[in-house]
Amino acid sequence: MKLRVASVSLDPREWTPGSLFAAASEKLASLVYDRLVALDDHAKFQPALATEWAHDSAFRNWQFKLRSGVRFSDGSLLTPTDAVVSLQISLGRAFEVTAAENGVAIRALHPAPDLLEQLASGRHFILHWRPDGTQLGTGPFFVVESVAAAPSEANPTAIKPAKIKFQANEGSWSGRPFVDFVEVTLGEPPLRQLLDLQVGKADIAEIAPDLVRKGRQEGLRIWNSAPRTLVALRFDDAFDAPASDQLREALWLAMDRDTMANVLLQREAQPADSLLPQWLSGYAFLFESPMNLQRARELRAAFPAGIPGATQPLRLRVDAPGDLYKLMGERVAVNARQANLMVQVALPPASASSSPAPAAGLHLIAWHYDSLSPRAELEAFVKQLLDGAELPANTTDPEQLCAQERRLLEERRILPLVLLPEYAGVRANVHNWNASPWGDWRLADVWLDSEDPMTTKTPAGPQKNSSTARSPGARP
Amino acid sequence: MQSFGKNHWKTVRAQFLFARVLLPLAVWAGTCCFSSPAQADNDVTLRETAQKLAERVATIPGLHGALRFEWHPDANWSEAESARWQAILKGEFEKRTLSLTEDAGAPALDVFAAETPTQIVLTAKMSLSERDEVRIVSMARSLLPSGSLLPSGSLPVAPIRLERQKIYDSADRILDASPLNNSEDDGLAILLYRNFEIVALRADLKGAVKETVSLNPANVKPSRDPRAELTMRGSSVSVLLPGKVCEFSWEAPSEMKCHAEKPSPSDKSGWRGQTLLASPCDGSSWKLLSSGGDPNAREVLQVVPDGAIRETSAAALSEFSGPIIGTNGERNPSNALVIARNLRTGNYEIYKITLACGN
Repeated sequence: MKLRVASVSLDPREWTPGSLFAAASEKLASLVYDRLVALDDHAKFQPALATEWAHDSAFRNWQFKLRSGVRFSDGSLLTPTDAVVSLQISLGRAFEVTAAENGVAIRALHPAPDLLEQLASGRHFILHWRPDGTQLGTGPFFVVESVAAAPSEANPTAIKPAKIKFQANEGSWSGRPFVDFVEVTLGEPPLRQLLDLQVGKADIAEIAPDLVRKGRQEGLRIWNSAPRTLVALRFDDAFDAPASDQLREALWLAMDRDTMANVLLQREAQPADSLLPQWLSGYAFLFESPMNLQRARELRAAFPAGIPGATQPLRLRVDAPGDLYKLMGERVAVNARQANLMVQVALPPASASSSPAPAAGLHLIAWHYDSLSPRAELEAFVKQLLDGAELPANTTDPEQLCAQERRLLEERRILPLVLLPEYAGVRANVHNWNASPWGDWRLADVWLDSEDPMTTKTPAGPQKNSSTARSPGARP
Repeated sequence: MQSFGKNHWKTVRAQFLFARVLLPLAVWAGTCCFSSPAQADNDVTLRETAQKLAERVATIPGLHGALRFEWHPDANWSEAESARWQAILKGEFEKRTLSLTEDAGAPALDVFAAETPTQIVLTAKMSLSERDEVRIVSMARSLLPSGSLLPSGSLPVAPIRLERQKIYDSADRILDASPLNNSEDDGLAILLYRNFEIVALRADLKGAVKETVSLNPANVKPSRDPRAELTMRGSSVSVLLPGKVCEFSWEAPSEMKCHAEKPSPSDKSGWRGQTLLASPCDGSSWKLLSSGGDPNAREVLQVVPDGAIRETSAAALSEFSGPIIGTNGERNPSNALVIARNLRTGNYEIYKITLACGN
C-alpha cells in the first residue's frame, strides 16, 4: 500500500487537527487501534470496543459498557483505565471521563447528542501507552517493522522511502483479517505510485487528484470518497482590521473556483462555498461564492493607502505540501491579478536550516475533515485556523450551525476554494474493497486473489510463512 | 434525535434496537410490499420532524398568502421514499395554516432533503422582500423505517412464476434459516451473527422470537467471514460450523453437544448444495441461481430448469435489494427460503419464495 505523505505517527497526541499528516496517520492508526463505536454505511452505530451505551435525556451523561476479554497486541487485557486515559486526551476538557463498572462514564460540559458521531471518527481511538512511550492497540493488525526514510546506498542523493509493516493480529476480537500483512510505503512521488499500481508493485495506492484521469484511462479501478479536504485561503490575524475588509472582499470576489475545480483539477474537485461540505452538514448548498471581477476591481480601486495587494504584493504562502497545492497557489495569484490585486506566491522554506521566509499575509491551506459531527468539525476548524474568532456555540441544531458558519464566512478571513475527495487506486486482485464514503478504508476486510503472482508474498525473517491470499467462504 | 423523559436512561443495545419483526400477509403474486408494526412508529418520527420544520416555517415574519411547495429530495432516494416525505411535509404545513398552491405565480417554498452519514437534514428556503429565510431541522437516519418500498423484479415469464413474501428481517447478520420441523407453518429457525457470536433463534409465524440459544459452547472464534448452516431434525437442531457440528434441542439447549466434523468424501465442503424446487404444475425440477457475488450490488434470483445453463433458460427472475446470502429448501418442494441483505437499510431479510403455475 502506498500513501503520499512522507511520514506518519501512530500517537494521536502528535496529530494537528485538520492536517494531511493527521489524516494519513489516522488511516494507519485504524489498523492497530479500535474506537468505542463504529458507524456503518446505513447510518447505524455498531458496537466496537463498547457493546452497549446509554445517555440521559440531556445528552450530558453517557455510559459505555466495554467489551470483555479484549486484549492488546501484547496479550494484556483492555481495562476501563485504558479507555479513560485515551478518551480524556482525545475529547479534551469539555468532557470528564471516568471509569465505571465494566466500562466508562463520560460527562459532557454541554449537551453532546453528537457524542457517538465524535467517538466513531477521528482521533478517538482506545490505546495503551507503555512506560517507554510506545503505544499498543486492540486492532486487527500490529506494527511488526518500521523503517525510516534514508539515502539510498546506490545513489546517496536519492531517498529510500519510509516503510511500515503491519502483521495480522491472530487474536483480534473482531476476527482475524484475511491478509497476513500490510506493507505501507510512504512519501513516494504521485506518478511513481501510479506506475507501481500498474505494474503490480502495490495493491492499493493513494492517487493525486490530478492523476485520476490518467489512472482511469489506463484502466485502473479508482475509488473516491466524499470530499474530505477543503483547500482555502486564510488571512493572517494582521488582516482582521476593518481597513483590510475591502482587500478580503475583493480577493473573495476574484477567485474563479469553477476553473480551479474543472480545469486545473480536471473535474476531480468541487468548487467550495462553505466551511463544511454538503455531505457532512446537509446545508452547504445554501452558500454561494459568485465570482465578480468588476466588483473586485472597484473595491481594489478604492483601497486605502498602504494595503498589501495594491502598491506592494500580498504574499501568499502555500502551507500544504505537494506540487498540486503550488499550482493552486499560482492560480490564486492569476485570479487576483485579473482584479488588479498583486499576490506573490512564496513557498515555505525547504528545510528547517534554510533562512526563514518573510512573513506572509495570506496562506493556502488544506483542511482535512476527520469528524462525523458537523459541530465538532466546525469547532476544531475555528480553534485551529481562526485564532481569536468566537467559538461556535455548543449546539448541534443545524439551523444554528448554519448561521454560525455564515457569520464566519462573512468575516472573509477564510475563503473556501475547492473540495477534494480522497482517491485510491485498487488493483483487480483486491477483493471486498468496501471503503466508507467518509474515507474509512477497512483494510481488515479485504482479501487478495491468491492466483495473482504479484500478491503471493513470503515474509522474510523469523515470521512464519503464510500466504497473503485467502478467499473467504461465505458472502456477506 | 430521540427524546426521553426526565431522568430516564435509555439503554441502547445497538445490535438489538433495530431488529424488526414483521407480520406476514397474504402472498402477493410477483411482488412484496407490506408494513411492519414498527413502521407506524417510525412514521411518527418522520411526522415529528416535518412538524418541527413546519412550525419553524410558520414563524417566518411577513409570511402571507399561498406558497408553491417545491420539493427537492435527496438524490439517493427512491420515488416512493421521496413521495412519502413530500406527502408528510405538505400535510404538516397545511395543518399549520400554511396555504399551499400549484399556482406558478405564487412565491416558492423550496424544501430540500439531504442525507449525511447519520442525519436527514430538511431545509426550507424562501425569498421574502429581498431577503432569504431559511429554516433547518434534522433527524437521525437510523430512525427511518426499514424495508424496501420497491417492488421486486416482476419480469414476465412462463410457464411458472415466482412469488415471494418477506417473513423476517433483522439488523443482525443472518447466516441461515430453516422452517421449523420442515414446514414454515410452525415458524422459523434462524442463525444470526450478533455481536461477534452465533445465536440460534426460534421464531413463530408472526416473526416473534420465542427462544434464543447462544452457540458459545461451540467456542467459535470471531470471524470476518462467519459461516454456519442449520438443519432441523424433528425438534433437534444441527448447526454446521467450520470444522465442527453442534447439536441441541429447543427443549434443552443447555445440553448442546459439539464435535469435530470432517468433510465427507462425496461432498468436499459439507455445506449445503444447490436448492432445488419442484414445479406444482408438472413436477419438473428447477434450481435457484443468483447472478453474482458482489456484496454491494442488488442481485437477481433466477429459477432455471435443473440441468440447464443460466443464461438461456431462466424461467423466472426476482430482483432483491441487495446480495443474496443463501437459500434453503422446505418440506413443500415448491417453496424455499432466500436470505438477502437490503443495501438501502443494511438489514438482513428472509423471504419465502414459491413456484406457482402460470403468469
